[in-house]
Amino acid sequence: MKRKSFLCFVAPSVVSMLLLIAMPLAGVVYLALHQSYVKTELVELTTEVPLFGGLKRQVTRVVPQPVLDEDGRAIRVWKFVGGDNIVHAAEVEGLDEILSGAREVTSLRGFISELHREITNVDFWSALEFTLLYTFGTTPFVLLIGLGLALGVNRASERLRGTMVFVSILPMIVTPVVSSLAVYWLFLDGAVIASLIEALGFGRFYFLADQLTIRTLIIAYGIWFAAPFAFIILYAGLQTVPQDPLEAAMIDGANAWQRLRYVIIPHLAPLIAVITVIHVMDAYRVFEPILVFGASVFANSVQYLTYYTLSYEDNANKAAAYAILTVVGVVILLIPVLVHTYRDHRGRR
Amino acid sequence: MRPRLSPLARTTSGAGMAVWFAVAMFPFLWMILISFRKPVDAFATPPKLFAPFTFEHFHHVWVEDAFWQFAINTTIVTGATVAVSLTIGCLAGYALARYEGSLGFWLLIAALVFRAMPHVVLLTAYRPAFFDLGIWSRYETLIMVLVAINQPFTIWMMRAFFVGIPRDMDEAAMVDGCSRWGAFRRVIVPVMWPGIVTAGLFSFLLAYNDFIISSQLMNGDMTTMTAALGNYMGQKQSVTRLMHGIAGAVSVTIPIIILVYAFQKHIVAGLTAGATKG
Repeated sequence: MKRKSFLCFVAPSVVSMLLLIAMPLAGVVYLALHQSYVKTELVELTTEVPLFGGLKRQVTRVVPQPVLDEDGRAIRVWKFVGGDNIVHAAEVEGLDEILSGAREVTSLRGFISELHREITNVDFWSALEFTLLYTFGTTPFVLLIGLGLALGVNRASERLRGTMVFVSILPMIVTPVVSSLAVYWLFLDGAVIASLIEALGFGRFYFLADQLTIRTLIIAYGIWFAAPFAFIILYAGLQTVPQDPLEAAMIDGANAWQRLRYVIIPHLAPLIAVITVIHVMDAYRVFEPILVFGASVFANSVQYLTYYTLSYEDNANKAAAYAILTVVGVVILLIPVLVHTYRDHRGRR
Repeated sequence: MRPRLSPLARTTSGAGMAVWFAVAMFPFLWMILISFRKPVDAFATPPKLFAPFTFEHFHHVWVEDAFWQFAINTTIVTGATVAVSLTIGCLAGYALARYEGSLGFWLLIAALVFRAMPHVVLLTAYRPAFFDLGIWSRYETLIMVLVAINQPFTIWMMRAFFVGIPRDMDEAAMVDGCSRWGAFRRVIVPVMWPGIVTAGLFSFLLAYNDFIISSQLMNGDMTTMTAALGNYMGQKQSVTRLMHGIAGAVSVTIPIIILVYAFQKHIVAGLTAGATKG
């Protein structure tokens, strides 16, 4: 295909991405480097205050008022502050203090847990902590459950497979807000799980009042939500496993575990890598369960932190600083993949 | 030849599968079940399997909370998003599959990075920009944003499908006198329908399932169904409100379940194409 017709064909798609993804990214950088506020001036304001008996008195006060332009809109001032917003958002100073602060060191373990406790008191670092915990805590289980399901469904009879696939992918395809809510409603105080436990005589459980249970629930939700994706890809991959090595392995007396370990898993390895990359990318953006479980006190995520700063604190500059830090995280996570893809590309040419 | 497993391995795998199917379905089944109940029965201790049936929550949500309006908004937004993102994604995917220069490679890499961007990062920039431009809370705005966010995934997937179609087909058409565009439209698109359906399904899921952007970009009467669920969230709320939320969530779920049931074969095909060939 000629370069010119290539450019014509990709133009609409590229323009949409440039306009609504690349430019906003540049905009976020701009926002993060600036501090904006409504320009105000001190104005002498004279008002008439009614006194008793119809008398009035003039009161003159000096009050700050927004400066208006010709259209009567308030003028916003954009002040360049460099990295200040980002430094502030990451609370570098606080971190510095924590790291250099004097403390009694009794044991290495005590020291680390103390350090951990202080660092996770800082908004951004605590959000990052849980985001990474979620990302890397879910990944192995997602892969394991996905592989197990793929093997199981692959052994089932043709007639059942369709239904099995459909049921298995439900957690993945239903709107994430809805699936988070559906899980959340199961664990409400007095809802089905808690009352079932109570009816069985294990006493009352409050799942949503404790950091440990909330974190466990959100991570369990993450596994439940993402395992179908691993399952579908691995299930499709299983259809392409060559039969000859499998049969040869059986003739050589390999048992089921050995066939899985030495024939099937090596064949699926590239797919497992792809799943890991995509899952890590998606898990890093975890948002819905944090929002729905109302858990930001116990378990925050970087995307939720930015969302909160943007929509509740209404502070676009601070939100942009968090966004920049989030993007830095994404890029760090992606670097190995990008390097690998690039080498692959160079190798192919 | 189907290799045999030991009885122990068979039992474990059977039990594991049964547990997974139960766990995968239970939250949704239970949600649907209690959406038709009075609050007392929905949150009874011990939980009840059978209880009197009521339609009042759905009635409230759809009629009084104006869910019908949100459903119309959702239909417009997702319909247009799917149509636009398929059209431009199809063109780009085809070109990426046929072009050999390294520009195509860099475009795909950029798309990969864009695909990984958390949506709230983009939202941070949209908010001030769209306010200034005065295009807040409009169908066109949300549609264009969702189309753009959809593009990285769509072009990767479309490219994977197009790579599977032999080059001879369009080259033969071009030898017969078709232009590049004519070959694409007359020869390639007709054999691409399965791929287009799959990509369309994924665009639909992305647009329909989006919460962050829709809930922030649209307000009042323009809210979409998924974003409207935000109104029912919160820690401290009455049980009635909670029941309305459950009815709303069920209303959002049903169309997806029907659609995915109808197209499930395409989902498997699409994810496989996107992952294995990409």
